[in-house]
Amino acid sequence: MAPHEDDFLTDPVPEPDAEATPSERAHAKTFADIVDKALVGRTPVAMSADDRALLEVATVISSAHGGMELSSTRQRSIVEDALRQAVGGVGAGASSSVTPIARGRAKRWVPWAVAAASTLVAAAAIMLLWLRAPQPTTVVHETAQIPASWTSRPADPLVGPIAREHAGDASARIDYLFADRLDGYRERRLSGGKP
Amino acid sequence: MTIKHLTALGTIVLGLGIAIGITGLQACSSETEGPQPSQTRVAEPTDAIGEELMVALAQAKNFHRKAKVYMSDGNLVAATTSVRQILSLRFPANAPEAEDVRADARALLAKLLVSQGQIEEAMRTVQEGLAQTQRESFFVANLHTVQGEIHEARAAQLDAEGEASKAKAADERRAAIAAYDRSIQINEKLQKQLMEQR
Repeated sequence: MAPHEDDFLTDPVPEPDAEATPSERAHAKTFADIVDKALVGRTPVAMSADDRALLEVATVISSAHGGMELSSTRQRSIVEDALRQAVGGVGAGASSSVTPIARGRAKRWVPWAVAAASTLVAAAAIMLLWLRAPQPTTVVHETAQIPASWTSRPADPLVGPIAREHAGDASARIDYLFADRLDGYRERRLSGGKP
Repeated sequence: MTIKHLTALGTIVLGLGIAIGITGLQACSSETEGPQPSQTRVAEPTDAIGEELMVALAQAKNFHRKAKVYMSDGNLVAATTSVRQILSLRFPANAPEAEDVRADARALLAKLLVSQGQIEEAMRTVQEGLAQTQRESFFVANLHTVQGEIHEARAAQLDAEGEASKAKAADERRAAIAAYDRSIQINEKLQKQLMEQR
């Protein structure tokens, strides 16, 4: 059975040293043109399924060797599509709801900023509580009420008006004042300071 | 709410939890340190008669006693020195007795100076005492009385100088009357207050 010219993919594999047939040469030239056009972005609209499969393989091989340089927009689009699919998002058709990578990077610091701020607030609260801890102080709740005779006070009620003829009798007045205050002092001390 | 939001919220809650935890530990440690000494006490009244006041009064009493002995012996200079020392005594702060004792000592000191002919020094002593008073008292009234006596002594000196000083002597007598009036005014006011308090 003679080999089919248009179905060389399904034909038996030729011998390594076998000469290429004219049909194979023509097909190879045609396919080479298609590959060249595809690499510069001018993929033919119509081609056979076999040619399309071979063209995809050729494109992959070319990309793997760095032979095809995608534009930055295309690269970003491909990465975003991949990421979207990884997190369970929709396909490329709904790209309007997807955050671009540049904006996503800008937003990446926000949770860290919130976390840092909350940690600072917590640290400040700890310091405040630490510094404002109540110190052991003596609290004076009340002042004892004591009799007037136990207190330091003016001597007027005790001495009264000083007559002119007694203006120089300071010695007698100090004796009287001392005796009165000594009474109050002794009374207070002997009662233990309690009325 | 995204995972990021949850992370931030969790951090906040963690921070607050740490703060509350440390505060609680601090409170617990202060409670477990055993019984604390009493934090309350009854305040001593600041105007209570204390040792410092009694010591000052006792010293004033002794200086007056010394002065009295010197006066009975005719040693007015030594008596004056003894009375002057009362003015240097240290009394408790804000003790009303301090002002009274000092005013009374100044009155006696001025009379001693007048009796020694030191009329101007006597007047300075009285004026200084009046300038230092912070309230009216029978002792302040007594200082005005002594001030009147000093004006009278000045008038007597001026009379002795002759007719040329008669006018000045009259002025001194008027000043003496004004001082006595001031003394009477204070005494009446204080007596009225004391009567109302009883």
